[in-house]
Amino acid sequence: MTEIQLVLTNPTGLHARPASQFVQTASKFKSKVKISAGGKQVDAKSILGVMTMGLRSGTAFTVTADGEDEVECVAALASLVESKFGEE
Amino acid sequence: MSSFTVAALEAVADTIVQNKELLTSLDAAIGDADHGINMARGFEAVRVKIRAAAPGTDISGLLKLTGMTLISTVGGASGPLYGTAFMRAAAAAQGKATLDPDGITQIWSAALQGIKDRGKASRGEKTMLDAMEPAYEAFVEAVKAEKSLVESLDAACEAAKEGIEYTKTIIATKGRASYLGERSLGHQDPGATSSYLMLAALTEFCRSQQLGA
Amino acid sequence: MVGIVVVSHSAKVAEGIRELALQMAKPEQKIIAAGGMADGSIGTDAMRVSEAIVDAMTDAGVIVMVDLGSAVLSTDTALEILDENLRARVRIADAPILEGTIGAVVEASVGSPLEQVLATAEGAREMRKCL
Repeated sequence: MTEIQLVLTNPTGLHARPASQFVQTASKFKSKVKISAGGKQVDAKSILGVMTMGLRSGTAFTVTADGEDEVECVAALASLVESKFGEE
Repeated sequence: MSSFTVAALEAVADTIVQNKELLTSLDAAIGDADHGINMARGFEAVRVKIRAAAPGTDISGLLKLTGMTLISTVGGASGPLYGTAFMRAAAAAQGKATLDPDGITQIWSAALQGIKDRGKASRGEKTMLDAMEPAYEAFVEAVKAEKSLVESLDAACEAAKEGIEYTKTIIATKGRASYLGERSLGHQDPGATSSYLMLAALTEFCRSQQLGA
Repeated sequence: MVGIVVVSHSAKVAEGIRELALQMAKPEQKIIAAGGMADGSIGTDAMRVSEAIVDAMTDAGVIVMVDLGSAVLSTDTALEILDENLRARVRIADAPILEGTIGAVVEASVGSPLEQVLATAEGAREMRKCL
């Protein structure tokens, strides 16, 4: 299992478009991927789950991946978040 | 038979267009006040299409053209409902060059089933079926009793009229009127009314042609 | 990739939902708007819906998103006039049209099969917004 803590720094937070990019990226990997914040955990491959988290800019959250490609998966998601989803 | 069918469908279309205001005002009471507008728009389009149909288009072809036109021009729920009725009628009319009471029974039965399938509705829910189904049954009875075509259609019209009265006494459970619950009581159903109007127009047309009188 | 058809009484609503959904879509993804009537009136047109289904069709099938009332009846009618082997690959989602479309588009974009795209679209019924 690989885990990383990330902070959303893009202006809009994890609203629909970045959420969909997040889900699309997570879905490229075989690992089970979850995100958690504020005591809630959702499947990172579920668009409804990720959107329901309603994560705003400045929020910290944890990404957990479990599977054969977990390291690459977490790295890809971290890089997406750090690139601010291309918003800037 | 082709020009006869065109004339019969024109008579039905004319009635709907003429009763646009009535149907809309009935719908204003329990629906969204568009039944007359939608139906008139659909049947105006039907009038144009069937007049422009290739001469010699058979009964089935004309019924199909009517159904296809209704599903793309009415816009509200009555479009797919009546449209499906005419399309199923067309399928049942395939290969029929003339219509006798038995043929009409088959076509009518198919149309009725089409409305039930499409609307997932049955009698007693304050819909067009409350006029159409008793009318169909009355027609079948009259044909069985060897009444003439016009007499049988008259019996059907009478039953449809009673069906409309019946819709005043029941609560809508299908369609937009169902949102009103008990407040739909006392109002006659616009769909049942348009069904009756079409049937009455067809009956008058047959009478005017002195069919089987 | 499952295709998506958006059926609304209003052409503008269908187009607008498509516009928004395209933000999340892959470039090759098919999202077809089928709103309003040919003359610009408010309403649903089964012929237009059946053409949209044909346009959106892929090997993976098509999900149809509907707004209210007659949109469902028109879509059912559109299915009746479609070829049988196309019809077998179409599902109507019982879901809020905007949220469901977004969910379906993202689910389809990752290559999920028809039933899973349908489940995601319908899952939008439960989606809370004011947390």
